[in-house]
Amino acid sequence: MTNLELGMASFPALLILIFLRVPIGLAMFLVGLFGLFFVTGSFNMGFARLKSETYSTFSSYSLSIIPMFLLMGHFATLGGMSQSLFKAAEAWLGHRKGGVAMSAVGACAGFGAICGSSLATAATMSQVALPELKRYGYSGGFSTATLAAGGTLGILIPPSVILVIYAILTEQNIAKLFLSAFIPGILAAIGYMITIAIYARLHPDEAGAPRARMPYGQRLRALRDVWPVLTVFVVVVGGIYMGVFTPTEGAAVGALGTGLIAFANGGLNRHSFLGSFMATARSTAMIFFIVLGAAFYNGFLALTQVPQELSNYVVGLGLSPWMVLTIVLLLYLVFGAVMDSLSMILLTIPIFFPIIVALDFGMTTEEVAIWFGILVLIVVEVGLITPPVGMNLFVINSMDRLTPMIETYKSVMYFVASDIIRVVILVIFPGITLFALRMMY
Amino acid sequence: MHGFMNGLARFMAVVGGLVLTALILLICISVLGRAINTLLYSGPVVALLGDFTKTLLATGVGPILGDFELVEAGVAFAIFAFIPFCQITGGHATVDIFTSGLSVRVNRLIQMIVDIVFAAVLILIAMQLYEGMLSKMQYRETTFLIQFPIWWSYAASLVAAVVGAVIGVYVAFVRLFEFFGNRTIMSVGGADH
Repeated sequence: MTNLELGMASFPALLILIFLRVPIGLAMFLVGLFGLFFVTGSFNMGFARLKSETYSTFSSYSLSIIPMFLLMGHFATLGGMSQSLFKAAEAWLGHRKGGVAMSAVGACAGFGAICGSSLATAATMSQVALPELKRYGYSGGFSTATLAAGGTLGILIPPSVILVIYAILTEQNIAKLFLSAFIPGILAAIGYMITIAIYARLHPDEAGAPRARMPYGQRLRALRDVWPVLTVFVVVVGGIYMGVFTPTEGAAVGALGTGLIAFANGGLNRHSFLGSFMATARSTAMIFFIVLGAAFYNGFLALTQVPQELSNYVVGLGLSPWMVLTIVLLLYLVFGAVMDSLSMILLTIPIFFPIIVALDFGMTTEEVAIWFGILVLIVVEVGLITPPVGMNLFVINSMDRLTPMIETYKSVMYFVASDIIRVVILVIFPGITLFALRMMY
Repeated sequence: MHGFMNGLARFMAVVGGLVLTALILLICISVLGRAINTLLYSGPVVALLGDFTKTLLATGVGPILGDFELVEAGVAFAIFAFIPFCQITGGHATVDIFTSGLSVRVNRLIQMIVDIVFAAVLILIAMQLYEGMLSKMQYRETTFLIQFPIWWSYAASLVAAVVGAVIGVYVAFVRLFEFFGNRTIMSVGGADH
């Protein structure tokens, strides 16, 4: 077999292992290790990489955002922030058809504003919203799919870990990227709510009973309780916008701030403090093992030149810029369904970015770079909820032991459809994404 | 035995969490120091306080030198320390869409094989980390700013990685007993939600 064929053959091999319930990180690690063995004829290269790569992956300054934001999310939960966000959203939306699910999405959007990770947003909001959704008679599949989709707002609405990495790779301004991500993020939340309204009408038996309408006085009071979230958001995102601190510093300041708020609210005692360590430990280890496995697998893939061959093929077709962009985004959708988003960005942006900015879309290079970054962010985020290996689906499904994965898969397809419609709109009208940027600069 | 291993994994998770908290505080102090430092150089503050700003600056208020490097060393240890707890509670992300239709016995067999392979990988990671540490020692590599030997942070991570390997082997043995004894000793995942 040639290297290229080996690379191609690794996709089905990876899928088979994952379907046999091999943990995803371990599966990627094994395919990467044995792939390197087949390419180079020995384990030397794989073993040599392990000498420093595990350490360097785990000691990455930019990735240290992940445990900090996870801990921040747990503190925010203990401080009643996810609770008050959900209550505020429910006060305004709860009486609609599918209203409790809409409230979950609204609260996810709010939580996404203080959290840069989809997994953390999905996991944190689930702790609050899953029991409520169950209580109001929503089906397990619909509930888990709603939260998995809502969780993606965590990376869409700034701060966003993926955007930071994109900015570093393409030498773009992080603050400008964050600014441009806002409108698409809000559109995503609205799109999910419309999806829920449609779903609740198509499957009334799965969407539970709507609650009684709340008087406006009570609604406003519920809104008042979300001020700690606003404060943390302004300090963290504002600080990153203004260049006061790096994203990692922002995460640390945010974690300390939410910790203090949780302490002041009486949510943080010795027991819950240790509990948040345990929960952070579990999710962090899971994520970093996947990052490690992906690094190994991607190292092997890069060696087989499969990504380069694919992008060469795309360029070689001599198509119009819009066609190339569509193909690139489709590739992300396909890869996103089977690969880790962070590693996918790390692997593909160096190949795709020069191609895209070299094409003529009738915009400045910076505008194309920022627009493309947001589009990639969205399609990568679609990958997080696309069966069979969308990460958000696992995280949420693992929190609801009673719901089989297949139920989550079925319901989440509606949200995937909403995502795809949004991507098409943002591709056709770049002005929507670039509106805030053009206003501010 | 299970009590001891579980306790060990929890202990490591707490130590990792404390290190992470310390890093968060370190960064915040550094950010605060830098902010005060910048403020003391700014026009209005100098005009207001005059030479007193120099006295304050002489105390060395400012960002912590090499905070970046300490974060890198600390977070590596924390993540290695988090792995044992994830391992013993079955916290890794998996796809159960296909295997949920199979019998309990087949599932136990799959779980046994997976956890044996996982144990082998964790041992391999710890062994190679040891090799990596030796080479950092040999070449006396240090960090750029505060010049502390990189092998120190490798050594700290190694301790956690060895615990990870021990827990991995323990979990593999539990799965062996589960398959051949045809009974459930430890649940797969969901232990701590």
